[in-house]
Amino acid sequence: MSRLLRALCVAALSLAATAPAPALAASGDQSVAEWSMGALAHTKARIEALAGDLAQAPGEFRKLSDQTRKSLMSGTGVRGFTYLLILLLVGSATEWLFWTYAYAPLRAILSASAQTPRQALRVGLRRLSLLGSGLMLFTVATIGASAAFSWPPGVQELVVAATLLLLIFRFAWVVVAIVVAPGRAQLRLVPVEPQTTRWLAALAMTVVSLLALGHFVPDLMERIAGARHAAGAFRFIAITAAALLLLIAAFAFFGRPRRSAGVLRAPAPRFPKSFVLALLVVAVYAIWLMNAAAAAIAAIAAVVIALQIGLRDLVFFFWQDKAAGEFDPVLPSIVLSAARFIVVLLGLGACAMALDTPLARLAESGSPLLRVGLRVLGVATLALLTNLVWITVRTAIDQRLSRIKPADAHEGPNENARLLTLLPLLRVSAAVILVVMLVLSSLWALGIEITPLLAGAGVIGLALGFGAQALVRDVIAGIFFLAEDAFRVGEYIESGANIKGAVERITLRTVALRHHNGPLHFVPYGALGTVRNTSRDWVIEKFNLPLPIDVDSEKIRKMVKKVGEDMMADPDIGPLILEPLKGKLYRIDPGVKIFRCKFRTAPGKQFDVRAQALKRIESALMAMKIGFADGTQTVLLPAPTAP
Amino acid sequence: MYAGTAVRNLRLVSGLVLMAFVTSHLANLTIGIHSLTAMEAWRATLMGPWRTGAGQLLLLGAACTHIALGLYAISARRSLAMSRTDVAQLVLGLLTPPLLLNHVVATYIAGQVTPEFDSTYGMMLAIYWSFAPGYAFQQLFVVVIVWVHGALGLYSWLVLKPLWRRIGGLVLPVLFAVPILALVGFAESGKEVLDKLANDPSWKTHITDNLGRIVKVTSQLDAFQTQVLVVYGSLMLLAIGVLAARMLRDRLKPVRISYDGGLSAQGRRGLSVLELSRLNDIPHAHVCSARGRCGTCRIHVDAGAQALSPRNDIEHATLARVHAGEGDRLACQARVLGAGVAVTRLLPAYADASAARLPQDWIADDRIAGGPAPGGEPAP
Repeated sequence: MSRLLRALCVAALSLAATAPAPALAASGDQSVAEWSMGALAHTKARIEALAGDLAQAPGEFRKLSDQTRKSLMSGTGVRGFTYLLILLLVGSATEWLFWTYAYAPLRAILSASAQTPRQALRVGLRRLSLLGSGLMLFTVATIGASAAFSWPPGVQELVVAATLLLLIFRFAWVVVAIVVAPGRAQLRLVPVEPQTTRWLAALAMTVVSLLALGHFVPDLMERIAGARHAAGAFRFIAITAAALLLLIAAFAFFGRPRRSAGVLRAPAPRFPKSFVLALLVVAVYAIWLMNAAAAAIAAIAAVVIALQIGLRDLVFFFWQDKAAGEFDPVLPSIVLSAARFIVVLLGLGACAMALDTPLARLAESGSPLLRVGLRVLGVATLALLTNLVWITVRTAIDQRLSRIKPADAHEGPNENARLLTLLPLLRVSAAVILVVMLVLSSLWALGIEITPLLAGAGVIGLALGFGAQALVRDVIAGIFFLAEDAFRVGEYIESGANIKGAVERITLRTVALRHHNGPLHFVPYGALGTVRNTSRDWVIEKFNLPLPIDVDSEKIRKMVKKVGEDMMADPDIGPLILEPLKGKLYRIDPGVKIFRCKFRTAPGKQFDVRAQALKRIESALMAMKIGFADGTQTVLLPAPTAP
Repeated sequence: MYAGTAVRNLRLVSGLVLMAFVTSHLANLTIGIHSLTAMEAWRATLMGPWRTGAGQLLLLGAACTHIALGLYAISARRSLAMSRTDVAQLVLGLLTPPLLLNHVVATYIAGQVTPEFDSTYGMMLAIYWSFAPGYAFQQLFVVVIVWVHGALGLYSWLVLKPLWRRIGGLVLPVLFAVPILALVGFAESGKEVLDKLANDPSWKTHITDNLGRIVKVTSQLDAFQTQVLVVYGSLMLLAIGVLAARMLRDRLKPVRISYDGGLSAQGRRGLSVLELSRLNDIPHAHVCSARGRCGTCRIHVDAGAQALSPRNDIEHATLARVHAGEGDRLACQARVLGAGVAVTRLLPAYADASAARLPQDWIADDRIAGGPAPGGEPAP
């Protein structure tokens, strides 16, 4: 399933990646060869432009620094700097106020010891909320206060950019400190080797700083100073440095195979992650060299793919404290598929933001290919969502089923038989409903009108409903029988229609009853009527014992009681008996004393127990030299008188 | 280790004197929001006392004492295990003298060398805003640096006092308002000065004449500055050198101590218990950053009391103030000199300044309950 998901993600993203070039997509009549020639020419032009930037950059940088010095070393520069300091002070004051309240809770959170990675996650989220609030307050106060001053021209932009840069640095540090938690092994949220955390944190911060600088600084250079070449060169250097660092990181942090102690056999060789990650970095960098606009999308796609590769380890890390035996991988699996799904969704959202065009407007644009792409994207999203729901439902049901399933298939019905019947039914129903909903909403997402379909289905459903009244009655009656726990698989029941047998199978419409002589009845629930369930809780069995008229009733009663006690003590038959055998004088007929014996057993066991009881009573009677009443009537005739 | 209560108090008092001077100076700048004239008019009131002989002596003495004691504190450190506030205090404190020197020379020494030079606000602002803006950046930096250094010191001293609960709501806003308003005043009066330079030729002539006077003595002033910087730099290097030498010397003598909750820490011999906690990431409360004022780092010594350094006067005073028990120590003052030390942290790691203001509340909590291990408690 996860492989399917991954394939879906990749498909969705490749679609998204083609989306930014509607011009390319629109010119469908061009041949592939022409297109690739065009792309090559474009790339060549871009690389030449970059080379030109690099060549002209030193001069422009010199000019730029002269300009900067000149504008700084003036009343305007001093004023701008004073205002910047005031803003920072205002921001710090606001944040300080926040921390006077929040610092003690933060210390408390940090000093708590997290036993499991899941607790660490909770701690991390709390830290994030506290640190993030402080950061937000600082930023809002700083940028808000900047509105209060009358700025020299161009300076406010600079100051706001500086504040945003500061925000990015600080936020990146907050995230790195929480996720990688250098120096705090208990609070770490990712599976990294403890001795590398400080390096990893430093590297992450450097890359973020490079990318942030590479984004903001050239922008300012271009807009305020008009230094286009210097901006290009700056961007090139920053992004190249970041790519190189990422390349190093891919091999340094993901290159080592994980060695688990005590495992003698070497694990089967797998495709090295480090290589894939390095490839991704190189690919994104190459795309950036070719076309800067597509690079953002490519970067997002690369991040999504990298996350999809590592997500399994990341998610299962939170359950790593569980031993293999007690480990139940259902929850992590659900979290994993949800995480995969969310990563893809976030990636798509980021793509939409990077394109700087709302998806709705993209959909309105002319290109039919793009429209189809977007719709297919919608269907893929629906499929992902359905898959997620299906996995959740299925794993929950399967888990429950495997927990209640009797260990021995031939064992009698246990108290979970009803669930054993209902849960598979539920699973199938869920699957049917999900598929129907998926199909209908996919059709809708693809732009096919489903209203007539639904209306038609409604009409047909109505007609069918009248026709299939009996069917509906059966199904609904069946649901109630099952909900009220009238019978379970394996129980012996008699229906009102005088059909009896052991329940063998329960389906949506009928119940299959196996008569004790062999025939299998299929009874629709609607025809079941009153159900007499003889397999519930206990059974009382009675039988008569006719003895000669001259036996001592008390002796017989004691004998029967003794037999009953013996049977209770018997290891084979004893556990079946709920109330021991007892007998008492019931009736006296001419020549016969009838004793009635009674016992209580588990359902279905009465026949065995009765046979055993009779056998034992018989031998006891023989030992007492008492025979059963012989059934012959003794007719006493008056003696003939002598004539 | 701090030599004792006297040194600590001397540093505090000298710092307070400097803070008072800076406050009155910044308050004077604040008046610039109104006008340059008002600023000059209030100068006599706000800055006058510092210009008298006694004021000058007090200021100079306070500055020299504070710098010397700060450098001494650095040289007396045993490790770099400090709180973030401490790092900020140290760096900002070290930066202040070289950055500020220029301003002092221009306003005070120049007046001594050429008596006809008048260092009015208008004059200085004209230099900063028009003639040599580079100095303005330096001064703006130094305002923030000095104020943050002073405010941090003042805050961490006051927050431990029971008085803080009453005055805290008042002092904190003032601590932030003073530099912000001063900077606003600086910006506003700067605008006025630029305006005046452009539109008031006679004032401009006055300023340029004045400037001419100071330019004449520049070489003299520069030489003086260099001398001071060399002296200061060598003192600073000496302090840092002593610290480095001590760290290097103790490097090969590891000791290990154990804590409640099965934790243990390892470090150089001679470090305090608190420094060991910090170096080993063991949660340990310390509100005053090892100044021995707050008493929140106190520990109970379960074993190896003889392997700890004896109590000094600071520790005695603080332990008495917080009503500590017989075997209790301050983790920031008790240095580990041998093996076999086992301690129990008495306050949870999240103890804040209220633990210093109301010690009895926090004693009652963990001494009577005796249950959860301090510092090991889960977050509420």
